[in-house]
Amino acid sequence: MKIYYKHTLMLLFLPLLWIGCYDDLPIDEDGLLITERAECYVSRFELLGVDYNTVRAGGKDAVIDTLACTIDIEVKWATDLKNLYPQFTLAQDCKLDPKITGITDFSDLANPKKYTVISGNRNVKKTYTVNIKIQER
Amino acid sequence: MNKLNKLGYVVLIGCLSFAFVACDDDSDKHTLLKNDCLKWTAGPNIAGLDIEFAYAMALPYNTGKIVSAQAEASIAGADGTWMEHNSYYTTASGQMDIPVLVGNPSATNGKTTTVDFVVDTCAATLRYYYKIPEAAKGQSVSFTFSTTASTGEKVSYNMGPYTISKMDMALDLSLSRANCYISIEDMAVYNAQQAAEIPEKIDLVYNFLNLSSTGIEFGHAFAAPAAGPDFLPTGFPENLHKNAKIRKGSVMDAHLARLHLSGKLQPEVYVDDIDLQTIDLANMPNYALNIITDGGLWVETQDGKYRAFIYANNMRTIVGGTISMKRYTMK
Repeated sequence: MKIYYKHTLMLLFLPLLWIGCYDDLPIDEDGLLITERAECYVSRFELLGVDYNTVRAGGKDAVIDTLACTIDIEVKWATDLKNLYPQFTLAQDCKLDPKITGITDFSDLANPKKYTVISGNRNVKKTYTVNIKIQER
Repeated sequence: MNKLNKLGYVVLIGCLSFAFVACDDDSDKHTLLKNDCLKWTAGPNIAGLDIEFAYAMALPYNTGKIVSAQAEASIAGADGTWMEHNSYYTTASGQMDIPVLVGNPSATNGKTTTVDFVVDTCAATLRYYYKIPEAAKGQSVSFTFSTTASTGEKVSYNMGPYTISKMDMALDLSLSRANCYISIEDMAVYNAQQAAEIPEKIDLVYNFLNLSSTGIEFGHAFAAPAAGPDFLPTGFPENLHKNAKIRKGSVMDAHLARLHLSGKLQPEVYVDDIDLQTIDLANMPNYALNIITDGGLWVETQDGKYRAFIYANNMRTIVGGTISMKRYTMK
């Protein structure tokens, strides 16, 4: 029976070998790894309706100016701006503030929504403004 | 670890296995006659639809024959509740559902449906169709299947309980330029003259515009009468005024879509009571544009009394189409 105990203990300690090899990068308040990357930009932007289909007019991509930090997007006529899902594609290791948690209200066109991109090393922050234009009838 | 401890361990494991054996239902364990049952239908149980079961019964060859089979529902089924008097089998080559007549046509008396066997057989599987009555809405229904053999043995099998949906359903409502006024309360489509007489019942208006030359995606649209002239058809009765909340969203509901009828693959997906109870319709607009075939919309009436899911069965390339609807009464 002692042999069983020994084998069991060995099996329990085996995973520690892998854990011991783990490179321990720092973690931020969201539980995300803080890396050494300083890249900080939005590479793609999408707006989806409540049916999860794009609301971009004519299939035109959003225009992203990484210097001016603006995102210009034209949406279909009669798009319900109160109920949209924004989707950002960011440079590697970046994160977004505020986080996208669900349906977002973009209906206040006079005060466009702003999102801050934070680099992987958490040292660079760029605030993008999302400008929405509605397709004319 | 000595032999005594090992023995104790074996005894412990043995006792544990008895705990499971003790939970086994052995009501017909000591009879030759056996029975089993499957529920075939999936999805919510809606009044007017069938709940279908396959009830199997058998006893060893040359020990007797089956005399009768019976299904008893806790709530009497609606007209159309019956049990097949054919048993079915599949051939070795895979040919499905070959019928074999085993009994007289079923007789339904109140909650009980019975088939009396007329052939000498020791095994059969009969299908039972329970037509869900309006009276069962919101309640649970259970079933007791039983069979009797010539040996005098009788066995039974309990199924359920199954919750009966509070939803109502309307299939294949036809839309056209003239018939475009939709009442959720009536689950019906009216023309302008009829709609003008019942303005309190008109919740949605169907419209079709082909604006593709301008790049606008309008197509087949549904809007509340209060949505405004941009969304409503010409000739719109002025006394229609109700508002609604509308959310686009497609679910290929098997009750509404019935894609298998046109040879397509029908997913086993259903809109259930809980979907209509919990769908978030707060802050939704009062219109939905560009609804295509297999598309859908969720609707809440202005007074919040009804919620509905509308499935677009067939929207034409010109004006017109067919829709089906599931409706839930919220209050």
